[in-house]
Amino acid sequence: MAVAVEYYLLLSAAVFCTGVFGVLTRENALMFLISVELMLNSANINLVAFSHFYGNATGQVFSLFVMALAAAEVAVGLGIVLVLYRNFDEVDVRNATTMRW
Amino acid sequence: MVGAFDFTPAIPLLPFAAFLVAMLVGHFAPRLLPKGGAIPGILATAGSLLLSIWTFLTVSGGSYHAQDIYTWVVGQNTFSLHFGILVDPLSAMMLVIVSLVAVLVHVFSLGYMNDEGETGLPRYYAGLGLFTFSMLAFVVADNLLMAFMFFELVGLCSYLLIGFHFREPGPPSAAKKAFLVTRFGDYFFLIGVVGILATFGTARFVAVGDGVHSFPHLAEQALAAAGGEGTMPEHVAHFLDVIGMNAETWFAILGLLVLGGVVGKSAQFPLHTWLPDAMEGPTPVSALIHAATMVAAGVYLVARMYGFYALLPTVLAIIALVGGFTALFAASMGVVKDELKQVLAYSTISQYGYMMLGLGTGGYIAATFHLMTHAFFKALLFLGAGSVIIAMHHNEDMWDMGGLREKMPVTYYTFLSGSLALAGIVPFSGFWSKDEILYEALIYGAGDSPILLAAYAMGLLAVFFTGFYTFRMVFLTFHGEPRSDTARDPHGVRWNVKLPLVVLGILAATVGLVNMTPVAELTGLHIEYLHQWLVIPEASDFAALGYDNYHHLLEQFAGYHAADIGPLAPGAVSLALALGGAGLAWVLYNVDSPTEHTEKLGGVKTVLYNNYYQDEYQVWLAQGVTLPLARAADTFDQGIVDGVVNGVSSVSLFAGSRVKRIQDGLVTHYAALLTLGLVVLLVAFGLLEGWF
Repeated sequence: MAVAVEYYLLLSAAVFCTGVFGVLTRENALMFLISVELMLNSANINLVAFSHFYGNATGQVFSLFVMALAAAEVAVGLGIVLVLYRNFDEVDVRNATTMRW
Repeated sequence: MVGAFDFTPAIPLLPFAAFLVAMLVGHFAPRLLPKGGAIPGILATAGSLLLSIWTFLTVSGGSYHAQDIYTWVVGQNTFSLHFGILVDPLSAMMLVIVSLVAVLVHVFSLGYMNDEGETGLPRYYAGLGLFTFSMLAFVVADNLLMAFMFFELVGLCSYLLIGFHFREPGPPSAAKKAFLVTRFGDYFFLIGVVGILATFGTARFVAVGDGVHSFPHLAEQALAAAGGEGTMPEHVAHFLDVIGMNAETWFAILGLLVLGGVVGKSAQFPLHTWLPDAMEGPTPVSALIHAATMVAAGVYLVARMYGFYALLPTVLAIIALVGGFTALFAASMGVVKDELKQVLAYSTISQYGYMMLGLGTGGYIAATFHLMTHAFFKALLFLGAGSVIIAMHHNEDMWDMGGLREKMPVTYYTFLSGSLALAGIVPFSGFWSKDEILYEALIYGAGDSPILLAAYAMGLLAVFFTGFYTFRMVFLTFHGEPRSDTARDPHGVRWNVKLPLVVLGILAATVGLVNMTPVAELTGLHIEYLHQWLVIPEASDFAALGYDNYHHLLEQFAGYHAADIGPLAPGAVSLALALGGAGLAWVLYNVDSPTEHTEKLGGVKTVLYNNYYQDEYQVWLAQGVTLPLARAADTFDQGIVDGVVNGVSSVSLFAGSRVKRIQDGLVTHYAALLTLGLVVLLVAFGLLEGWF
């Protein structure tokens, strides 16, 4: 018996909101990265759920691409975090505010 | 069969080749250039002269020629622009005059420039070559736009040559003045060309072949239609509808616009001020400018499109008045000048005034005749003056001369021949042509046209002044006792100065014999050769350019009627006046040591010395009127126009400076704004689409 698609959507929305909450409230750059990953993965859940719902593999293929994207993003993100640490001796995003008008 | 017309394009192109040679070889390999470029120039202009004579002979055989050479803008459903060649009696005659004077000026330059050790000779001869090329191409132009282009090129060349001695202060300023003043007139000419192209859809002077139109003929048809005969050409009718003017008014405006260029180039009042200053140029250049090129271009243009002007009585009256006034006005200034070339400069302005008077009063043949005789005697006088200037070590003040008659007889007798022609003493050339102009002005003026009569009166009065200043110049220069050391021991001149003088001296004495109207009238002989030359048989395609057609147009459209006056009495009057002027000069100045008599003129002298304050008044026009106007326009531009633009941009600048503050560099705020934006979008779409 299959789980109804609404539940997947609820789960995905909950994960996404967690991610948004993390991005808006956290000061640690690592937590930022993790939150962004959460949001990406909530999108993945949606893709896979609908793929299963429609009996069509397109969504699953797409989710593979999203994972690859997430991996790349983490690579870049971690690089930024490392540079942040070298410059400020901590990874608080509130310190790096010089790139503005 | 190869005829003269196959070589007609080469007439202007030969001097152009000489220009290229003098410029390129003179720049890259000056040692290879014989005589600083004089030899190529002489060969090229001599070639042009031979071809011109051949063309002239062919034309006198009764065959004329019109040909499109190169179409440089092909119009789709509209007019095309092209270069073309038109050889008719008028242009054939002018070709010979221009190339002959050009050859002689080149030869004379050997004596005036090379022998005097001038530097920059390749530049000088390149300028002469380009000048000759431009004028010859202008003469053979078959449409008004091409004529305009070469008219401008002539102006450029005069600028280059007047400013030849550019290291001295005077010549560059004179060159700029000549350029700007003539350009002021040419500005109107340009508008006129555009107007004519827009109105008629063609700028051709003559229509030869099927489906080809000429603008004078279209104008004639349009005016005839306005008078109730025939039908208006469609293109013209449409254009007149658009601008909402009747044909007569609009054509008169077009005629006056083109006349602007003529007034500038031919140095007519009020744009004559550049010409006396242009004396700063080398004397052979003055000869070329005054006799054959540049100044002649203006009058030639009116003669070229006479089929158009003959339709417009108002414009003709203006031409006649301007011409008559200029003749008198310039002659009166020539009376007090101290420098040889200045006297000649004012005489040129005055003589071109006569030609304009002739054209305005319907004396097409007379004006053309004077254009020809003047070319010869004025080139002669300038070259004679150049010879005197060489002899006087470049001192031009006549009060330092005197007694040169014994020292330089060739110059004296040829100069005398030119002076007799200029003063209009029978039987020298100037008498016949000037007399004919005045005669034409009189008979058409007496035929119920007081304006022409007024112009005639001014022209007649100028004859007296002309006689006076001409012989004042001759007596001061050549007669009496030498008044300076250089005059006692003048520098000799060589064959290259004397040869052009002798050729021109003979021509100035004899060329008037080609159209002796009074003699023809008296004897009943048919000896008016120029008259016969300018008449084109009605069967020819070129009949529209013939004198008979112009005469017909003048009577039909301009309402010119000749009064029945014989040519003898008016001729005698003008001869008497010329002799009177010359006689007064004889009494006052033909003494051993003449004194200045100008003091007796009192206040008039000051006015004449200052050229009626024309320069001052034009400077005032520029500085007192135009400059404040330009300032006001600048203020408007900088303040109002730029103000609006800057005001608009300052709003975005200010808004940007405020809005950019939300970009504070804190990544959390960016994320919040993104989320907020998404939520606002969702809510907005939801409300609009009715999701809730």
